[in-house]
Amino acid sequence: MTTEQGDQVSPQVSTSHANESTVKRPPPPETPAAVQTRFRVIAAFWVVIIFLGFPIWWKTTSIYRAHLPIEEMVDWADGKACRPVFPLEIHLATPSMQPIEAQYLLRTTQHTLDDLNEFAAHHLRLKLANDSATVSHNAENGMEGAINAEAQAPDTTLTVRLLAQEGLAAPRSELHAATTQLDVFYPPSQVPVPSSSNSPLSAFIAEELQRLYGEEKATIAHILSGHTGGLDSTSPQLAESISRRLRRSMKYAETYHLSFSLFTPGSEPSSWDIEAAVKEYLSPLLQAFEPISNFTVDTQVQLYANFAPTAPRPEYDEAESAWTLKKEDLSAFVNAAEWPLNPSIGNGPTINFILYVPDPSQSPLIVKENRASSWIVPQWGGVYLLNPTLSNAEQGGQSNPAHLSHDSLGPAFMTFSHQLLTLLGTPSTPASLPLRLQTSIRIRAATLLLSASSTMGSLARLTESLPSIPIPASVASSVSTTLSHLGATCSHLREGRFGAALASARVAETEAERSFFEKSMVGQVYFPDEHKVAVYLPLLGPVGVPLVVSLLKELKRIAAGRKARRAAAAA
Amino acid sequence: MALLFRFLQAFALLLLASLVTAEHTSNWAVLVSTSRFWFNYRHLANVLSLYRTVKRLGIPDSQIILMLPDDMACNPRNAFPGTVYSNADRAVDLYGDNIEVDYRGYEVTVENFIRLLTDRLDEDVPRSKRLGSDAGSNVLVYMTGHGGDQFLKFQDAEEIGAWDLADAFGQMWEKKRYHELLFMIDTCQANTMYTHFYSPNIVATGSSELDQSSYSHHADNDVGVAVIDRWTYYVLEFLETQVTSANSKLNLGDLFDSYDESKIHSQPGVRWDLFPGGEQEGRLRTVVDFFGNVQNVEVENANATEPGSLKEDLAEIMRLVEKWQKRDEEYSAIIGDSVQNATEKMPSSSHVNLAPKKIVGSTKMAEDSNWGKQLVGLSVVGACTAIWVAGSILGRSAV
Repeated sequence: MTTEQGDQVSPQVSTSHANESTVKRPPPPETPAAVQTRFRVIAAFWVVIIFLGFPIWWKTTSIYRAHLPIEEMVDWADGKACRPVFPLEIHLATPSMQPIEAQYLLRTTQHTLDDLNEFAAHHLRLKLANDSATVSHNAENGMEGAINAEAQAPDTTLTVRLLAQEGLAAPRSELHAATTQLDVFYPPSQVPVPSSSNSPLSAFIAEELQRLYGEEKATIAHILSGHTGGLDSTSPQLAESISRRLRRSMKYAETYHLSFSLFTPGSEPSSWDIEAAVKEYLSPLLQAFEPISNFTVDTQVQLYANFAPTAPRPEYDEAESAWTLKKEDLSAFVNAAEWPLNPSIGNGPTINFILYVPDPSQSPLIVKENRASSWIVPQWGGVYLLNPTLSNAEQGGQSNPAHLSHDSLGPAFMTFSHQLLTLLGTPSTPASLPLRLQTSIRIRAATLLLSASSTMGSLARLTESLPSIPIPASVASSVSTTLSHLGATCSHLREGRFGAALASARVAETEAERSFFEKSMVGQVYFPDEHKVAVYLPLLGPVGVPLVVSLLKELKRIAAGRKARRAAAAA
Repeated sequence: MALLFRFLQAFALLLLASLVTAEHTSNWAVLVSTSRFWFNYRHLANVLSLYRTVKRLGIPDSQIILMLPDDMACNPRNAFPGTVYSNADRAVDLYGDNIEVDYRGYEVTVENFIRLLTDRLDEDVPRSKRLGSDAGSNVLVYMTGHGGDQFLKFQDAEEIGAWDLADAFGQMWEKKRYHELLFMIDTCQANTMYTHFYSPNIVATGSSELDQSSYSHHADNDVGVAVIDRWTYYVLEFLETQVTSANSKLNLGDLFDSYDESKIHSQPGVRWDLFPGGEQEGRLRTVVDFFGNVQNVEVENANATEPGSLKEDLAEIMRLVEKWQKRDEEYSAIIGDSVQNATEKMPSSSHVNLAPKKIVGSTKMAEDSNWGKQLVGLSVVGACTAIWVAGSILGRSAV
């Protein structure tokens, strides 16, 4: 339109001045060349709009969304892709039995175990361990038994040694606290004979095993059922203790920071034998936890650390001849505002362990209710009150020792180790630490499998429900890593290799978290339709109307020209 | 009889389970002021007052995210440098000791706020600036600033829409980042901000209806500006006078019943429908469920002997230490090597069923139909275009 006017205005101005009073004359007809130019100009505009403007607009306003295997992700979240099972392999060592008797005992015990078990996902498999039985087992297991590659073999959870002992009325068992071995002593008369239908020995072994793994079974059932129910047979007491433990234990993390802090309100003690203490008391435990998580340790000494101004003060108890803190006030003991307890190192959570040495004027300091000197703050850490022997200072009063020796830290660090076990969610039974660690490997594997799966489901639902959120390619690759490791976890679990299962589950969890918390997926670009109109109208209105109108006019002209030509041809 | 016993046991377990699910394990608070400049002194005072309250009731600084877009205490126009007061009597200096501001000044942006909620932050962002809540956390979100119909202005430069906020909470729920959430907002037309929420377990409350302003409570003539907003003032009055300790049994119902429209000068609103059990159940949540901190400290009994107790553990750790000392080599007893392979499969009956997602649409604030509005808008746009086209055609023919 502008080009049209540009053509016509100048002749019109001159004519209108000359003939103001006369009738308006139509403008002189356009030359075909002018019409041609106008057509080209309009066409050029539209070519630029269609082939340059439109693609640029499309490109710059579209959101990159990588393709995600939504269905597979939802399957994992719904538990359709994998049913985690926990076949525990238990070896039966029968040094003093005939192979045939041992075989029979194994069979009856397994039968009793299967009868007792009501949670199919977690079951115990018995195997004969001694060499005499390998032959029969190789035959049973076919190829796999023969290959016997280390990576293929399932983890042995427990070895039961059957030992004959004279002078026993009934079988008794003894759990080795430092290894994964259960000794069962039985009177030789109770060796099962194939003719009898049930033997007290196999019933005893089955019950023993059931008892050993009762808590683990209940915990796994609790986790798999999504924290709502669990096994029917679980006693309410056990259920309560399980859920309490799950509540107070830390959320899983790849790396935990252990922070040991010495706080004292005065100037002494100002040094402690921390390196030796950590090395001696803590390293074994951390080493044992290596398959589950990594740990970093840092320590600090804070002098002149005061209680919070609002915190209740300790009171002197005449009867106990000690300063006491009330149990309900303990949550206010840690002065979270002033004590530098959140070092914010790295990206893992910090577990705080506080060693508090009270002022000589308030020593000894204990908890009023049960004279305890330590407590756990769920999901946070632990506190230990250390009351060292006071020495007489020169000025008459008493003072704390300037240095805490390695020996005096012993009880405190043992307690910290216990608190660490509790905070990491280690189950309390059976009474053998290696077995408990194994159990916690299985529990962690189950937890991580579920949490990574549910993260996949969340991501899938998020992708579908928020169409405006971008999904970069890194998310898609993280998702595929997660899914493959989840699959690996599931098959490792099925085959009883719990260490390997946990390792894959850890990778799956890390990748799942990474994909969900991808930094660029921030959906803050929601624009209601009104806003879109408000943005585009002022921009496109003034430009768009002349373009559209000129296009329409040009089309009309072409149509009219064609009609005229056809009429001319007809005439 | 045995059957009955079994049944009773199952019932008891069910009861226990429901009790367990109702419990939360940690408390987090996100307190956000969104406006800058001296004349918005009251918004910072609002937030700082609430900060003091939640801290008094026990939430530690590490679990409070405080966002202050300006620093009133150091403002050159502040006649009382280094202080912020929320009352003309100037009895309590809100800015005193122990203030930990996590996001300050121009860090307070819509993007950072949404990143905070959804934890989509750089790896090098310190933990003190992150919302580390999990499936067991009760989260309190308090916002104040200048807002309008379904938006809240941030920093004079940008705004957060009710949709974005709803999506952020939706993502938090998807990733199990809260157990229950209490959303409070004090701004003009505040209640419009929570209309689009769709994720469950949220109780939302705001200071004013659609097309209503929220007013400031009073001004301090020496400070020279208003020092607190009305709705926040009366919420705080309730919290400070009634909820005196972390053991208070007062519930959300009591808090919301304490709203007095004649004092607040606007109509505060509460949204219950996202909460399981609705208003009836939601009213029973205690105030300290959100404003206080659950911290069940567990004192270890040195004399108990049940498995897992301190004494037993100590003995076991002792053995471990001894063993460690004996063989300096690596600890290899956990995963013993095994000889045989068991690959027998057993069908499993337990698998996880995720509850079907409940989809809650946005609630309507105003009675008039949305279609009508759109029609009006469309006809306005159409009329404008028509005038434009007609004008250009007429202008052309007139010439």
